[in-house]
Amino acid sequence: MTAPALASPTDDQRDRSDRVRVLADQVETLYRQAPLGIAVTLVIGAVLAFELYSSAKIGELVMFWGMLTVFVCGARLGLVFAYKHAQNRDTAPDIWLRRFAIGALGSGVTWGFAGAVFFPGHTDEQQVFLAFVLAGMSAGGLPLFAAVWWVYALYAAGVMFPFEVVLITFGSRLFTELSFMMPLFFALNVAVAYRMNQVFVSGYRLRVSYGRLTEDYTELNQRLERQLIELEEVRRQVEASGRKLELFAERSPIAVLELDAEGRIKDVNREAENLFGYPASELVETGASIKLLVLPANHAEFDEKWRELLSTRESMAGLRISNPRRDGIELVCEWTVTPLVNPDGSIISIIAQGRDITQQLEADRLKQEFTSTLSHELRTPLTSIIGSLQLVNAGVVGDLNKDQAELTEVAERNGQRLLDLINDILDIEKIDSGKLSLYSEPMSLDTLVSESVKLNQGFADRYNVKLTATGLGSSITVNADHKRLLQVMTNLISNSAKFSPAGGSVEIGLRQANPRVVVITVSDRGTGIPEAFRNRIFGRFAQADSADTRAKGGTGLGLAICKRLIELMDGTIGFSDREGGGTTFWFELPIHNPG
Amino acid sequence: MPAKPLEKIFYAEDDEDIQRIVRMSLERIGKMTVMVESDPLKAIEGIKAFQPDLVMLDWMMPGMDGPTLLKTMREQPETAGFPVVFITAKATVKDHAELAALGAAGIISKPFSPKDLPEQLRGIWATLP
Repeated sequence: MTAPALASPTDDQRDRSDRVRVLADQVETLYRQAPLGIAVTLVIGAVLAFELYSSAKIGELVMFWGMLTVFVCGARLGLVFAYKHAQNRDTAPDIWLRRFAIGALGSGVTWGFAGAVFFPGHTDEQQVFLAFVLAGMSAGGLPLFAAVWWVYALYAAGVMFPFEVVLITFGSRLFTELSFMMPLFFALNVAVAYRMNQVFVSGYRLRVSYGRLTEDYTELNQRLERQLIELEEVRRQVEASGRKLELFAERSPIAVLELDAEGRIKDVNREAENLFGYPASELVETGASIKLLVLPANHAEFDEKWRELLSTRESMAGLRISNPRRDGIELVCEWTVTPLVNPDGSIISIIAQGRDITQQLEADRLKQEFTSTLSHELRTPLTSIIGSLQLVNAGVVGDLNKDQAELTEVAERNGQRLLDLINDILDIEKIDSGKLSLYSEPMSLDTLVSESVKLNQGFADRYNVKLTATGLGSSITVNADHKRLLQVMTNLISNSAKFSPAGGSVEIGLRQANPRVVVITVSDRGTGIPEAFRNRIFGRFAQADSADTRAKGGTGLGLAICKRLIELMDGTIGFSDREGGGTTFWFELPIHNPG
Repeated sequence: MPAKPLEKIFYAEDDEDIQRIVRMSLERIGKMTVMVESDPLKAIEGIKAFQPDLVMLDWMMPGMDGPTLLKTMREQPETAGFPVVFITAKATVKDHAELAALGAAGIISKPFSPKDLPEQLRGIWATLP
């Protein structure tokens, strides 16, 4: 068993602390009244000493008693002083009670001593006086010590016991009779003290309980107040998020509908009203079904999906549904449908969020149509233009003079450039829309590199650049699209040739980087790639200097296409500076391992 | 490789400009004899009459497209045996696979180079049995 949590005191702990507090109160009463008792003791002691001393045969003894009384009173005063300045009055009242009890006993014993010593040797009048004083002292102690009954008992015993002994041994009949009554007095006084003690204690208890009650009450009040503040805060938060949610739904450019499990419309936002042309009142109050907004031809398919939703209770996204408007126009919306489910599994409601994608679909269709038109309608006339010029430039229709030849060559070159641009744009569009399919087959890279060198030497000759291949003679094969890989090689080689100094060479390298990867490099001794251009070199229409477009030709799409194609073939592409000047473009492809 | 050199070409193509360029390329550079037909519906008759070494077809033509024309040729014994090369702007992998399945001997992509066209055709001719 472990102890109960310390946060709140147990009843037992609380009871004990109450007892300590009551005792501390009792002890405090004792000490508070002590100076009065001490003062009375000194006054009466002085009177008694004076009376006895004037007729004394034993003056020294009276002197001694007087000094003893003063000493005990002084000691008790010191104790009272110490108590008033003590730190542990409330925590250790039992210690202070014990000390007080010793003082009370001492005080009682001094009186008892007076009775025992002075009673026998004096006159009758003086004996009566002494007996009267002692009776008074023992009775007067009652209100002073009765806060703790046994302290009084000790005090009274101190007063009476020595006197009793004297009475018994004195020998006269009267005194013997008195000695019989003494214990009775004692018992009576202690009984009264006990009774007073009880009254005190219950009074103290009442006070402590009341204090405790007030404390509890205050604490309870504070707790209630704190909880009220918290509740108020939570209420404000709930209200704020409710308002926010309402705002989200109400101002959202997306149609939001709340449905029940049967598909009846419970609530709609403004966009839903706008989109479908029905006022909210008509949809909600008539208990219309969501199928009102589904093309009747699609109802069977819709029911199927709805059953799936109710059985899985999981959100569905990207549902394309044809939704007829109130005026009969048909929209296509993309829906996200989310059931709100209680912890017990029952459906609270179903939230349907729909985005009108009719125009987006139309735009997609137009774009595709445009792309295919571009492909056919632009390329067909260009085929005729370039073809005609090629035939003229090839001398098929006879020799041209120098100016004519120059102009037809310009026309052919620019026609070719236009065609390249169109092809590149179509390629990028096809790749980006995921419509480019690669025809992958295992092929020898040796063959591919040789082929690309042969194919591009004519172009390189225009810049007086030589193409050299290194690393040939291996049997590395890759699984790739031959035509597209050749396109990549052509792009890289023609780029390098264009930017090489006249009389220079472009080196095409082939090497195995590790058992799984082969690297192909195309290196030139050009001016290198400007710092500012490096991070967008593989972007669309990227050219270091727009003046280059005229000077060097090219569309600025070549490297963007290369990057996409190489990535489609599970490879990576990049470039690095070449030691001694120039740039190396490289791409890596996974090596094809048959079987 | 056929024993006889490639000499007679029949070409079905609706675009007259392309017709002219192809004819000039094959006749002047390739030194071949070319018969051109604009109407694909008359092509079968033309092939029967001309008896070419090789037939070149455009894909997209009004009235009947190239693949349909090829199928029609294959259905008639008189025209079933001629080797057919397509010259087309359609360039997807799927298109090429479709033509190969129809039994086309080769495919030349538009835009083609009229300078190289005769060589390309002779290259395909060389692969034939």
